[in-house]
Amino acid sequence: MSAMGHGPGAVHLRRLSFSFPTRTGAPLPVLDKVDLAIPGGGIVALVGPNGCGKSTLLRVIAGLLEPGSGEALLDGTPIAGPDPRIGLVFQEPRLLPWRSAADNITYPLELAGWPPARRRARLARLSELVDLDPAVTTSRPAELSGGTRQRVALARALALEPEVLLLDESFSALDALTRERFDLELLRLWHRAATTIVIVTHSIPEAILIADRVVVLSARPARIVADITIDLPRPRTIAALDDPAAGRASHRIRAFLEDDEGGEIAGERAASIPLARELAS
Amino acid sequence: MTRSAALSVVAAFAVFVLVWKAVVVVSGLPSFILPAPETVAVRFVDAWRDGTIEPHLGTTLIEVGLGFAVGVALALIAGYGLARSVLVERLLSPYLVAAQAIPILALAPLLVLWFGNGLLSKVIICSLIVFFPVAVATMVGIRSVDARLLELGRSLRATRRQVLLTLEVPAALPNILGGMRVGVTLAVVGALVGEWAGANQGLGVLINLARGSLFDIPLMFATLVTIALVGIVLYLMVVVVERRLVGNR
Repeated sequence: MSAMGHGPGAVHLRRLSFSFPTRTGAPLPVLDKVDLAIPGGGIVALVGPNGCGKSTLLRVIAGLLEPGSGEALLDGTPIAGPDPRIGLVFQEPRLLPWRSAADNITYPLELAGWPPARRRARLARLSELVDLDPAVTTSRPAELSGGTRQRVALARALALEPEVLLLDESFSALDALTRERFDLELLRLWHRAATTIVIVTHSIPEAILIADRVVVLSARPARIVADITIDLPRPRTIAALDDPAAGRASHRIRAFLEDDEGGEIAGERAASIPLARELAS
Repeated sequence: MTRSAALSVVAAFAVFVLVWKAVVVVSGLPSFILPAPETVAVRFVDAWRDGTIEPHLGTTLIEVGLGFAVGVALALIAGYGLARSVLVERLLSPYLVAAQAIPILALAPLLVLWFGNGLLSKVIICSLIVFFPVAVATMVGIRSVDARLLELGRSLRATRRQVLLTLEVPAALPNILGGMRVGVTLAVVGALVGEWAGANQGLGVLINLARGSLFDIPLMFATLVTIALVGIVLYLMVVVVERRLVGNR
């Protein structure tokens, strides 16, 4: 089956640059002319060295940061601030500690002004979607395990039926086995909800298991070093990682990451700059 | 409260009364210096029966209630402004510190002179004394709101009002209620100080009467017990509210 749909949720980044203001006055460049096209329903994983600006890139797509130059488009129109069509799962669950799990999940609906009856109906569907044990919905976050908390956070991000789901290293705090389960559940969820997924991760196996394409970013300021298509059939299981194609992809991603740490400009990155200009013009 | 906690309160009270009685017996002090606990108890019951305490208590309770409410309301607004606006903090903090540096005891006669012998001056004094701890607690509480939760609110397009009601207030609530616990006992102090500075009715007035023209020292002690009870009951009311609002976090 085709992983690249053409439904809603297409994200386009065009020569996107971003700098953080600093106390000394000279802005700190974080993103440098990033060009990226993600078709609606596609899954892209962003990998790169620590502090390279992956999370910043995600925040620009989420509308939390305004691009310095260039543009970020959702379905062809510029992303102007946070958008209900985009759901964001943070690195930590980020739940409101004084609310029950259920009230955390329906928090976006509450803010959007949904009446309680509709919220309850949606809660039931969301709990089922992320496979949340109904018995824990009345518990406070402090009483839940790390995995369950992240499940609640995932349900919250899906509450408004987003076209795009952004995950910022969301499973990185989980133990290896739980993480694997979450990766597979994310795929199962993707088959049902058909959202575009952009996931920032440090785990190359996770990136390969989930994504259609793995985009490798350079050290700060982040540029796209490589855009590697993962040629594995869907639906995928954990066995997909044993496929020779997965091994080859892993090898290539690692090579690009190591290349960049040496400070060398990889051949493909140098080649991507004129290409980017071409795209922008 | 658990049974063992209730038991320890009763035990503490019993020890206090026993020591009191022992001091009276051993020292042989006359009743107009230190009356025995049972003398005070009898006077307390009598004073309630013949309606000596009730009107004074009513006046003081109204002063405390209004003063506390006004003080808390102003402190919440000021505390929020202090936490969220550098300008407000710069403008307000010198006054705050100055107001706190002048003892209320020294300020009370002036306020009574300006605002009269009645309710108004007492409410002002009460709210002044309540204001500081609650304003500081509110400021600290609002500042303690996790910036990551605020980012979550922003990503969900929460309005200013929604951020206040669903993020800032719940997060600051434990601090605010802690400030209110301190504030409510201070409100009683404020009312009595105001009454001492000049009033026609109130528990502070009754203490003065019992010591002076009536020369009824057991009544003075009975009034003291009443004041203590008022403070304890108000404090417990805040604690109950606190338990209900933030108890099971």
